[in-house]
Amino acid sequence: MKKVFALVLALMLVLGMTAVAEAPMYISVISKGEQHAFWQAVRKGCDDAAKEYGVEMYYYGPPSEADIQLQVEAVNGELMKQPAALALAALSTESVMAQLAECMEKGIPVIGFDSGVPNAPAGSIYATASTNNKNAAALAAEEFSKLEGFVDALKAGTPEKPVVIAVLSQDATSESVTGRTTGFVDKMSEIAGQYNTVAVEGHDLWAKPAEGAGVIIHTEIAATPEITDVTNAASAILNLDNLYAVFCSNEGAVNGFLAATSSGADLADGAPFGDLIVAGFDAGSPQKNAVRQGWFVGSVTQDPYRIGYLAVELAVKAAKGEEVADVDTGAQWYTAANIDEPNIALLVYD
Amino acid sequence: MQNLVGKKKIDYQKLLAPAALVILYIFFAIFGKNFFSYEGLKQIFQSSYYIGFMAAGVTFVIITGGIDLSIGTVMMCSALIGGLAFSNWGWPVWLALFLVPLVGLFFGFVNGILVAKLKLPPFIATLGTMLVSQGFGSIVSGVRTMYYPTVGSPDQWFRSVFYIHNNLPVGMLWLFGAFFLAAFLLNKTRFGRYNFAIGSNEEAARLSGVKVDNWKIAIHAMCGLFAGLAGIFYGAAYTTITPGKGNGEELNAIAGVVIGGTSMSGGSGTMAGTLIGVLIMATLKKGLSSVGLQAHWQTFFTGFVVIGAVLLDNARNRAANRVRIEAPAAAAKS
Repeated sequence: MKKVFALVLALMLVLGMTAVAEAPMYISVISKGEQHAFWQAVRKGCDDAAKEYGVEMYYYGPPSEADIQLQVEAVNGELMKQPAALALAALSTESVMAQLAECMEKGIPVIGFDSGVPNAPAGSIYATASTNNKNAAALAAEEFSKLEGFVDALKAGTPEKPVVIAVLSQDATSESVTGRTTGFVDKMSEIAGQYNTVAVEGHDLWAKPAEGAGVIIHTEIAATPEITDVTNAASAILNLDNLYAVFCSNEGAVNGFLAATSSGADLADGAPFGDLIVAGFDAGSPQKNAVRQGWFVGSVTQDPYRIGYLAVELAVKAAKGEEVADVDTGAQWYTAANIDEPNIALLVYD
Repeated sequence: MQNLVGKKKIDYQKLLAPAALVILYIFFAIFGKNFFSYEGLKQIFQSSYYIGFMAAGVTFVIITGGIDLSIGTVMMCSALIGGLAFSNWGWPVWLALFLVPLVGLFFGFVNGILVAKLKLPPFIATLGTMLVSQGFGSIVSGVRTMYYPTVGSPDQWFRSVFYIHNNLPVGMLWLFGAFFLAAFLLNKTRFGRYNFAIGSNEEAARLSGVKVDNWKIAIHAMCGLFAGLAGIFYGAAYTTITPGKGNGEELNAIAGVVIGGTSMSGGSGTMAGTLIGVLIMATLKKGLSSVGLQAHWQTFFTGFVVIGAVLLDNARNRAANRVRIEAPAAAAKS
């Protein structure tokens, strides 16, 4: 019995040593999920970058963005494996404070990606690869204003018959969604402010009442990110008087809005909401279909592939001790006209 | 006079669960990336605290032949209300921590009333309280997420006391203490004796004069208390309490109880078995992650382990019920 035990112990030691001797650099990537096709595009970027740099990469995304406990355990599990660097899109920075402190202590670089690690302690995040959400959503407001008749409609709004532009968001807590809501509201206020008095109503976070407003920007926030609640919020928007345009701030909001409009059919020419101007954010096949059919005037897309790619690239560089800095991975506007062009097709996932 | 006392037989079946734990650990120690380390061992325990508390509490209920599906959401609701107390009502953290198990106790008591006095089947009754507690937490907190004190906060003693201090998993002391207490309750007190009695044969217990209804209420309340306590350890480990969550955690706890050898039909079970069952699940989770397998494989394999444990338990019960002839009848005559 003793001999067997000694043999097993020796075997373990040998295996352990060989593992250390040959192993390529190990990078851990903990994202916010795998449920949206967005994250699968991110993962492709991560996989390609890992192959390019010849590193071993472990990717984890919890089943939903509310599964903080699972993400924390995954971070713990990865830290146990002593990675050379960690790329993290934290669901809740508070829940990983101890882990961030541990990384700083052990000299493991942490790279934020997508929504990154908001309000992280100073020096814990070496760099973040993400979309500047405010700029991306502002793009939608700008594209709205370029539409024929849009500016005239803004000018024509009166307090008795105001022009209502609504924003549908799945929450008012996540940095990306709130950033986009803010970006759109601010840009739209700026544009409309040139032609009319603008009031912002709806959720407290953005409300800015104004006397005699001819243009009203209305923010509608869903009770929870679940599609049923987002659909309810979308229905609330569709019931608004004088509704002129709608901006859906993420794929979840788009899906809820489509569910409230018979999968988008109500937005077709001649249908009950055919004249409504609608734009979305990100992609996914229902949204792509809506853009192709012309039900949406267009949508803003991030570059999820580039986000994933840069997450790993920055992690590898930081692990090697090179200087790294934040990267704005950018946004594009896509419509029925350009959706099939190669550079756009790469970004808009199914 | 011949010495007819036989050698004491080792009950091999009782060693199955601990043996499985050791084998699993050795397997992952060999093949896992840095699994065989202090960090690996520490993480197995640290990921088990809240599940362990829930599992200990629900063991009492399962031994009566019942079930409690509400422990997951009650845990979250309790943690949420505790968080509300020190975040919004201005309570000091240490005082709010007393409120957490009391909320659990309340829901456990409600379960007890529903099951014992109103004669609802435990599955239905606790399904109801599961939904009620899920909504109740959200309502009381105004659907706001609560944050327990963590590293860097003025109350960071909270994490040092209940989770980890200077890289020592202090939560383990609480966990083992709780299981020791639960085992004492189960095996050395009237509470535990009646618990087994009700589970083995409720009618017989009632006819013997045991106030079955009252004891059932007490058992469910105890389960709720443990679920509430689990909330403290969840807060210490994960900091963020999201309203409306918790649904699903009860299955982790119940799986741990079943793997540990407690029978779902009631009448038998051990706290040690539950603790081993919970640790087996934690070892599986951490081990599968350390060999690079994705998260879905963890749930996949845990399911197989649960099924295997139940099959083993059934086989053991069948073997125990078979009549064995120790010595031929002829020898007894001479």
